[in-house]
Amino acid sequence: MFVALPLVSTMLATTPEEIRQTLGDPEVLQSLGLTFLAGALATGIAILMGLPLAYLLARYRFHGKGIIEGLMDLPIVIPHTAAGIALLMVFGSKGILGSALAPLGLYFVDTLAGIVVAMLFVSLPYLVNMSRESFALIDIELEHAASVDGASAWQAIWLVTLPIAWRGIAGGALMMWARGISEFGAVIILAYHPSIITVLLYERFVGYGLSAALPVTVVLLLFVLFIFGFLRYFLLPERT
Amino acid sequence: MKFRLHLYLILALSLSGCFVRLPTGDMTSGTSTIPPTLKSSDVTTPKEKTPLRVFCAGSLIRPFDELEKAFEALHPEVDVLMECHGSIQVIRHVTELHEKIDVVATADHALIPMLMYATTDAETGEPYAEWYIRFASNRLALAYTPQSRGADQIDEDNWYNIIPQPGVRLGIADPRFDASGYRALMALRLAEDAYTQPGIFNNVIQGRFKHPINIFEDDDFTEISVPGILEPKPDSGILTRGASIQLIALLQSGDLDYAFEYESVIRQHGLNWIKLPDAVNLGSEANNPQYNRVQVKMDFRRFASVEPVFKGEQIGYGITIPTNAPHPDLAAKFIAFLLGPEGRRLMEANFHPILKQPVCDQAPSVPPELGSFCPGELSP
Repeated sequence: MFVALPLVSTMLATTPEEIRQTLGDPEVLQSLGLTFLAGALATGIAILMGLPLAYLLARYRFHGKGIIEGLMDLPIVIPHTAAGIALLMVFGSKGILGSALAPLGLYFVDTLAGIVVAMLFVSLPYLVNMSRESFALIDIELEHAASVDGASAWQAIWLVTLPIAWRGIAGGALMMWARGISEFGAVIILAYHPSIITVLLYERFVGYGLSAALPVTVVLLLFVLFIFGFLRYFLLPERT
Repeated sequence: MKFRLHLYLILALSLSGCFVRLPTGDMTSGTSTIPPTLKSSDVTTPKEKTPLRVFCAGSLIRPFDELEKAFEALHPEVDVLMECHGSIQVIRHVTELHEKIDVVATADHALIPMLMYATTDAETGEPYAEWYIRFASNRLALAYTPQSRGADQIDEDNWYNIIPQPGVRLGIADPRFDASGYRALMALRLAEDAYTQPGIFNNVIQGRFKHPINIFEDDDFTEISVPGILEPKPDSGILTRGASIQLIALLQSGDLDYAFEYESVIRQHGLNWIKLPDAVNLGSEANNPQYNRVQVKMDFRRFASVEPVFKGEQIGYGITIPTNAPHPDLAAKFIAFLLGPEGRRLMEANFHPILKQPVCDQAPSVPPELGSFCPGELSP
């Protein structure tokens, strides 16, 4: 009730006509596209780089493992505006990475790259943690059995572990993507423009008022509900 | 299956909402955070502090922070809740978001009649404000840091050649939300006349936004038209933020080379700055005839509300008490404190030029406690 009430009352506060107009508003559509794209890019990068880390954390003991696990939880507990400032210190033009990557033409302040970095930072833990748990649940004997049958270590992971861990990884990726696209605090500090949908929504709210912000809110809710429901339904069917 | 169940749940909830009267049509009044009973409880439980909500222009944040502390020291029973935004946003919190605010201080006094006199509060049937006092001025300047590109060459006579250079990043407050933003646009146009260098405005602004800021020249008059969507092109070298104070952090982090800021704010932060001539900085009363020749229009047709037009004139900060303020008496005390010797001292300590003689608009409506600041009386 607590969760549903604000959502439902927001939905009911707009007219279909307003929603139709908003769906035809190029600024809103571009912003939605940009947001989903940036969230997908962040998730993609996380799958490439975070999945091996999740596997390592699940399978091996090594020095500093506790530290890495602690670090992985940090973005969840850091307030996001603070995360944004921290990212600005690193990815800003005078920051370590910002100044190192600038010669390659990669800038982070007010660019898509900045949005992706902010989303990646705040949402990476969801993917890593959920995938790690999913890997840890799989008996290592299965990989050993595959090795005995002649599979290489890579084949054992690729053909045995990943397919079984798939549900957890996909769930983690979905959570990460959802968390990424809903990010505001860190993104607004690093990249106010191009405006992702949460920034646009805030801008409409403070700049033009409630009547301008409501239809965008509803369209955003509808999009997210639809995509989230769709992905949940097809990617993660109930186990029978 | 589960998902379908959720849908049913949402449907059921929305139906049941019809019976429990969801706050659908009346969303707007929900934003008020001050219970109306607070005043009476104040008497019975003295420990409960009365909240005084003060909304100010971003450029007032430093002096008003100090003002808050000094005022609370004098009135321990009051908790001043300060919130600062771009000036237009400050007013929209009252007129669009219907928040109950006690004191509104904006960087452009003209916004108060334009947006508050002209809008009627549906709850009270009155306009959101009926008077204001112009109390302070400021000057626009160009802020930079020693690390800024071109910092070693820039001076008062060549800044307009440095800031449009490729690779130089310039910050401007968003003219749709902040007075400093449209004033920066005016200053760029005024600079063309002051330096007899036509093209400064176009060099700095044109071609750098996705939707162009258009400039219309008449014989003796210029109108700058700001589109409803204002987003710098990628790699254009221009950055905008909702309020000019948000650009300060980007200057300090090295992500901006220059930014148009108020002189008071620049000096509060100890930044380097280029002083702009009086004919450009919008801070000199004597130059009003020149300033008057430029205006900035907001092309907001897409949102069908007001289309604000800002006339060039000497920067004037305005302060008022909204008609729906929960604590108008305390608000008047706060303003009297600001305009009195202590407030004056705090403003000056923060390099903010405060008017020797405040100017009242609609003086007969000014609360009696503040009447002493309007000796000119009855002037419209």
